[in-house]
Amino acid sequence: MNTKSYFFQSFAIVALALVAFIGFKQILPDKIFSESKLDSKNILIDSLLLESVAEDSLALDEDSVAKSERLLNKQKIVYDETGGIEYPAETFENYKGYQYLIHFYERLYQLEKNPQNKVRIAYYGDSMTDGDLIVQDVRMKYQERFGGNGVGFVSITSESAASRGSVKAQYSKNWKTQSYLNVKKPISPFGVNGHVFFANNGGNTTWIQFEAGLNKFSTSLDNPTLYYGRSSRTGNVNFIIGKDTIKKTLSPNSLVNTLKVSSGSLKSFKANFIHADSIPIYGFNFDNGSGVHVDNFSQRGNSGLPISMFNADVMQAFNNSLKYDLVILHYGTNVLNYGTKNYSWYEKGMTKTVNKIKESFPGVSILIVSTADKSTKYDMEMKTDSAVVPLMKAQKHYALETQSGFVNLYTLMGGDGSMIKWVDESPAKANKDYTHFNQRGAKAIGNLLYEQLSKGYDEYKILREKRDAGVSKRKAVRKAKADSVSVTNDSL
Amino acid sequence: MTTIESINNWFIENFGAITMEQVESWFVYNPDEKLLFNTGLFLGLFLVFYFVYGFLRKTFYLRLTYVILFSLFFYYKSSGIYFLLLLLSSVVDYGLSQIIYKESRDGVKKLYLVISVILNLALLGYFKYMNFLIVTFNDMFNGNFALHNVFLPVGISFYTFQSMSYIIEIYREEIKPTKNYIEYLFFVSFFPQLVAGPIVRAKDFLPQIYQKLNLTKQDVNNALFLIIGGLIKKTVISNYISVNFVDRVFDTPLSYTSFENLMASYGYAIQIYCDFSGYSDMAIGIALLLGFKLPENFRTPYKSTSITDFWRRWHISLSTWLKDFLYISIGGNRSGSFAGYLFPSLFFFGLLLWGISNYTTSIIPLIVAVSSILIFCLSFLLSSKRKQTLVTNFNLFTTMLLGGLWHGAGAQFIVWGALHGLALAVHKIFMEFFPSQKDKKTNFLWRFFSILITFHFVVFCWIFFRARDFETALQVINTIGQLTFEPELWKTIVLGYKNVFGLMLFGYVWHFLPESFTNGMKSVFDKTPLLIKAIILGFVYWIVYATAVAGSQPFIYFQF
Repeated sequence: MNTKSYFFQSFAIVALALVAFIGFKQILPDKIFSESKLDSKNILIDSLLLESVAEDSLALDEDSVAKSERLLNKQKIVYDETGGIEYPAETFENYKGYQYLIHFYERLYQLEKNPQNKVRIAYYGDSMTDGDLIVQDVRMKYQERFGGNGVGFVSITSESAASRGSVKAQYSKNWKTQSYLNVKKPISPFGVNGHVFFANNGGNTTWIQFEAGLNKFSTSLDNPTLYYGRSSRTGNVNFIIGKDTIKKTLSPNSLVNTLKVSSGSLKSFKANFIHADSIPIYGFNFDNGSGVHVDNFSQRGNSGLPISMFNADVMQAFNNSLKYDLVILHYGTNVLNYGTKNYSWYEKGMTKTVNKIKESFPGVSILIVSTADKSTKYDMEMKTDSAVVPLMKAQKHYALETQSGFVNLYTLMGGDGSMIKWVDESPAKANKDYTHFNQRGAKAIGNLLYEQLSKGYDEYKILREKRDAGVSKRKAVRKAKADSVSVTNDSL
Repeated sequence: MTTIESINNWFIENFGAITMEQVESWFVYNPDEKLLFNTGLFLGLFLVFYFVYGFLRKTFYLRLTYVILFSLFFYYKSSGIYFLLLLLSSVVDYGLSQIIYKESRDGVKKLYLVISVILNLALLGYFKYMNFLIVTFNDMFNGNFALHNVFLPVGISFYTFQSMSYIIEIYREEIKPTKNYIEYLFFVSFFPQLVAGPIVRAKDFLPQIYQKLNLTKQDVNNALFLIIGGLIKKTVISNYISVNFVDRVFDTPLSYTSFENLMASYGYAIQIYCDFSGYSDMAIGIALLLGFKLPENFRTPYKSTSITDFWRRWHISLSTWLKDFLYISIGGNRSGSFAGYLFPSLFFFGLLLWGISNYTTSIIPLIVAVSSILIFCLSFLLSSKRKQTLVTNFNLFTTMLLGGLWHGAGAQFIVWGALHGLALAVHKIFMEFFPSQKDKKTNFLWRFFSILITFHFVVFCWIFFRARDFETALQVINTIGQLTFEPELWKTIVLGYKNVFGLMLFGYVWHFLPESFTNGMKSVFDKTPLLIKAIILGFVYWIVYATAVAGSQPFIYFQF
């Protein structure tokens, strides 16, 4: 048999196929499986975000954004003194804004002096902090250094309750939940967690059961206390602790009411709500009354904008009891996917959010945490998403404008291309969606965050000592000149 | 002049300007870009290689050396400097095999065999299991040994097994050794099967070296059909669904709903099949283009009607290797041996310890441990040939445990092997009580349910295989356990991931197509003229390319 022809024929087929491929490449579309737009009705994304994106028609062109950015980067940020403390000037590029965390740092200082004091942090976030990721690590770090026991405020239901290890919550299916993510006019105002729950029992009991987790400093449920809102009708709740049942009446007279389940610490308990369907239920707080407590208010799909809809009176009522010293806003993941690199609309919206927080928790320090690195496939390669840096800069800008501290998570985790490293590393620190951290990565992020805050605190103590020693000389006081830049921004 | 310029422009437009750095990157090892069959670089290199190969077909040593050099280059592109390890191990194995062949005293023969097996396993053990052993030791005895920074050379599990088969077959006098080292190196380093199998047996492959190189038209048809199928399975189905769905769910199962967890489990089953069998098919096809026939590695395994059947259809080259060299070596179905009893006993002892140590938190681990021991014991106690079934089951269980461990260093692989071992034992005793009639055609419903049950058992075991650790596997299983019937919600999820689910469906439909249909497709393909074949292959290249550049699906959190 003549074998010659078949070797060369088979070569010819493979080679001709290459030619055919080049031909197909010319005439066929660039890619299959295009990213189709999804019906937003079924997807968890906040409605305010969608509206803001839709309204974003008067966008700046990119040139002018770049121009104002160059201006900004050159600005030196010089601080006014606050209570005789003045942090050294810094550049916009490396902006951290410790100056604006002085209230929080002073409270930490007082706590260090007197361990019976309390410091409380509200950590608002998106899916990055789901299941208490990142937040539990920040909490543990603070409790390790300053004392304190307990996981803080916990909502009733949550999409991520199953994945949360720091406290285990199980609940009946008949809770009615309203979230600030997609409800504009709730039946009763939202709680500090952005949710309101109703024990909607159609004949069956509506219940929730808590069990302490295994995390350090959170191995028991300390002073569990129920938070609920105002209603015209009363209701009942039965707390079941071991074999005992404690019957209590809910008297919903104030904007925010509390009911202690038990003084001291429990391992687990169950709460049955009876005839309470008109009473807004917010959640339970677990803290031992001293030290640092960190509340995790995570909500998947959140951009941070919905906070601007908070009812300030209700928040103040919460604050009277919980007394926040620092509010952390950790958002960004959900505003990366809109094809825009101009985030002036987001800056505007988040400024409203920060103002609402200032109104709700008077005197509180605010810290903005930027978006982390996120990768997207460009051609055949994973790269940092082109929207990450513009968003991070926008976040830094509104942090400065609203006099908030700032943590640049993007540079902290390694900057350009770092998410790819975190995913590919062995053991991996982030998930294959190139967006979310896993337990290990979240711990690293929590530590990075804590370290930056801690550095500011250590500096604060030195500055404070200097002040008290009377060494610090009064300097000519000037405010940051960022205002003029923002004027050019608005006028465009 | 203008024509050359325009050709040049056209070239740059389509392929981009070629710089020296680019050319260098084609030939230098890059750990991030392995030379896989489904890459454009491989296609380019192969075309050049194949063209020259065609001219060398009538030579012998020149051709062998040429293929060896390409194979070593291929391995260097995948593992860098470790191609020297391949060379070193082949020199040692070749030397030992020569000694064994020439030695006439049985005792000495056996001694050299043991030395070579130990050397090969030590090599594999160091690169693959060192850190696993250290971690296990540290966990058990609170030790504090530092981990070694070991690079796992690509395909080491495959080529050590292949050289072991050569030596053992010489020891068993099933084959004669090759005439010289070149021929041996050709067998061990043959690039189509070098990094991911099929594990080629010396007795199947060596005779082909000496035959006159021949390539019939039918061979080329078969090869192209395999390559096309393999490309689609590996790059389109497997890669797309893993990156865009399965990996995410298995990363954090608790963040997803029960339905998503269930679909990810089905997704992984088709993903691993398409990945593994697709790559095998490409390897077999490429070898065939070079004129070498490698054994079939997968025969639509999810069509199996029992777990025993599954192991005759899944990764056939590995299961026959394990059967011939491990199962039979430790006694097979005739006699028990120390090793045959050791590993199952250790495993069950460990399982029991796990159950007892977790007793305070939950009784379930203890129940699992006790019942699996009970099932295993019943599988031979109930048998009429108790003694023989006992040794068979112990040896089979050992084979499955070690076979599981071969897939990767981790407790979850051992558990995976154990589950299959247990199932094989259960199936054996089941067959003893309900023997199948040989001559009667099995009833359709019976067949349907056998396939359904076998498939679901295999999917269940894959969860352990895929999960990062044991805990994650339990999370997936637990979440699936909470599944409720909510068609509206399912529809939302399916629509949200329609590309992924569409591909999964395509994969399963293709897998379960009747054989007559695939054969029909094949014969149509065979009859098409050369040019059409090239166009079909070119179209498949395009599909591969277009899938590779497709952006990943953004993550979705559904609202319920």
